[in-house]
Amino acid sequence: MTTKPRWKLLLALFAVLSVLGAACGDSDDNADDDGGDESVTETEESSDDTETESGDDAAGDGGSSDGIRIAIVAPSAENDLAFTQSIVEGVDALNGVSDVAITPGTFVVEDAATAIRNYADEGYDLVIAHGSQYGGPLQEIAKEFPDTAFAWGTAEDTFGLDNVSSYTAAADEGGYVLGALAASMCSKIGVVGPIAVGDAKLYVDGFTLGAEDNGAEVDVVYTESFSDTQLASETASAFVQNGADCLTGTAQMTVGAIGVAEQEGLLWFGTQSDQTPAAADGVVVANQVYQWEFVLQDLVDDVVAGETGGNIYGITLENSGLAIDFGSVEVTDDMTTVVDDTSAAVIAGEVTTIIDG
Amino acid sequence: MNHRLSGLLIPAAAVVAALLIGALMILALGANPVDGYRELFIGAFGSGDALADTAVRAMPLLLVGVGICVAFRAKVINIGGEGQIIAGALVSTVTVLVVPGLPSLILIPLVLVAGMIGGGFWGAIPGALKAYLSVNEILSTIMLNIVAVQIMNYLLRDPLIDPEEIERGTRIPQTERLSENADLPILLDGTRLHLGVVVAVMAAVVAWAFLWRTTIGFKVRAVGQNPAAAGYAGMPVKRMTLLALTYSGAMCGLAGAVLVFGSQSHRLITDGSSAGFTGSAGFNGIVAALFGGLHPLWTIPSSFLFGGLLVGANAMQRAIQIPSALAVGLNGLVVVFVVSSNRIRDRMRQRSELAAAARALARREAEDEQHTDDIGGKVVA
Repeated sequence: MTTKPRWKLLLALFAVLSVLGAACGDSDDNADDDGGDESVTETEESSDDTETESGDDAAGDGGSSDGIRIAIVAPSAENDLAFTQSIVEGVDALNGVSDVAITPGTFVVEDAATAIRNYADEGYDLVIAHGSQYGGPLQEIAKEFPDTAFAWGTAEDTFGLDNVSSYTAAADEGGYVLGALAASMCSKIGVVGPIAVGDAKLYVDGFTLGAEDNGAEVDVVYTESFSDTQLASETASAFVQNGADCLTGTAQMTVGAIGVAEQEGLLWFGTQSDQTPAAADGVVVANQVYQWEFVLQDLVDDVVAGETGGNIYGITLENSGLAIDFGSVEVTDDMTTVVDDTSAAVIAGEVTTIIDG
Repeated sequence: MNHRLSGLLIPAAAVVAALLIGALMILALGANPVDGYRELFIGAFGSGDALADTAVRAMPLLLVGVGICVAFRAKVINIGGEGQIIAGALVSTVTVLVVPGLPSLILIPLVLVAGMIGGGFWGAIPGALKAYLSVNEILSTIMLNIVAVQIMNYLLRDPLIDPEEIERGTRIPQTERLSENADLPILLDGTRLHLGVVVAVMAAVVAWAFLWRTTIGFKVRAVGQNPAAAGYAGMPVKRMTLLALTYSGAMCGLAGAVLVFGSQSHRLITDGSSAGFTGSAGFNGIVAALFGGLHPLWTIPSSFLFGGLLVGANAMQRAIQIPSALAVGLNGLVVVFVVSSNRIRDRMRQRSELAAAARALARREAEDEQHTDDIGGKVVA
């Protein structure tokens, strides 16, 4: 391998970047303004006005009359049919929002921290840190931007800061209902879990209890990764070899497991988002869908009114933040009865949906 | 083409080619590539904050790159940067958890040294395997990356987990907020530029001095150039191989310590993968070292430029809302094109040198012939 210094290469690289920078023409004084005005995108549901006055503000100002600007930092793709898609769809459904910017795929916590900080610096009114692992840096960054509202999910902690709200999902509730439904259709169920934290653990617990309470055998494996779809696929294959006739799982890596379910002709039970499009007809039985707008609208209304948050929100079956939607299988009366009766029992507190320890 | 001119034009053309292909990809996604590249440059170099972010991002690349330079001088290949970064981060984190109350003047150097010890140990394992058992270091370093990740996952879920995570039941795999006495000082108020950047540059200078200004560094290079000859000359070939990988690991371990104590969360966090903590610095540092010609000092600007690409790509993604995968892909394109251009340049240089050698030989033969004729003429005369 050559060892000659590559000073010409480095010089060339720097020269190209310098030429590009000169050709682009913006001065430093305008950089923040342009970054604020242009570092946005609008979703189809947002209002038409994308230009705001707050591009050069270091903090949010409660938004313009057309609504507030929201930024989302999330660990996976915005169309992952799971965790990130749920928050994107939830924000898209909100009223009082003029712009939405998204930084997906930030599984590196430090990159997410940089994105959160930059959005706050660019004057976004509400910065949503959609990942439990973002709590550490958020706790430090939020203190530096006291006039910017931050939301952290899924979590139930605001660090005692007035400008941090948190939101969580009682995923165990919907998990229990789906587990009960699965037990009525399957005898052996494989559960592909990511890491046993947050709403992932809640869902797995709830599903396991719901299925076992109704007579099904359940095997659970945590792959120790939120994003490794190949590992999820291999885990699902192992379940199939062990005789599973239904599968479920949570987090963005489940698309790998859904593929195995489709390939092997098994039934799938989804969570976080509607996972029906991920497989052919007849595979996805039902989904627990997170409808974050049911709680985030309150937060947005507070921010529009000039407040910065400090509350904890949770979506549950009772407040309709969690919805059980059927997928692409033929829905029978029995299935509907199981879902309705089990949901009522969960809401009434008649069943245990969380495994201690 | 003039050799000097081609030395500049070819890599410049490679970068332009990579950016053009990236522009096509951005266009295909419905975004404006001019806006995108403007945001990339501004995001990387367009303000004091941007430069600071770039320097901070470049720091682990530089440290890993310096380690790679030292290893490659001994002709050993270290692909274990990810694991060595993790090992360094773990040892430095445990050090702070054990003695959190020490004053910063003692604690900061202590954690940096602890990081080097952790990474050095993790590099010494494949070094010893290579030196004394002839185990291929590419395989052993890669396998040890996986082992390091699993050790980190275990430690962060049990012994080192933040007690508040247990109390809340959330169990996010992270430590508690580490002692403020170990926070790397910010060098410029209002930016994220911290002492780690200075440490990295100093490490590069020290590595250069080690390799070219010390006897032991000479031995490392001699072993790398020709192990048989070095051994025949009485140099301890196996020890130098072990030393090179240990040194390389120590640099990566130092990067791990700086990543923890210079981070915005001031704790060790993982998402279960190595890249979730390291940001793939263990692999990107290899690229930075290659860009710098495997020379510690030239790795400084190459790390800065590559760090700028990473930071700028993230800024571009935020500004024009392209998928983050494209930003990653753009960096990969630049790497592939620029590294490939080296081959073209080397071939052109080889051809140029061969042509020059052929011309010199022809001239020499002509001169010899003339000389022979002259001698023959005098004899006849």
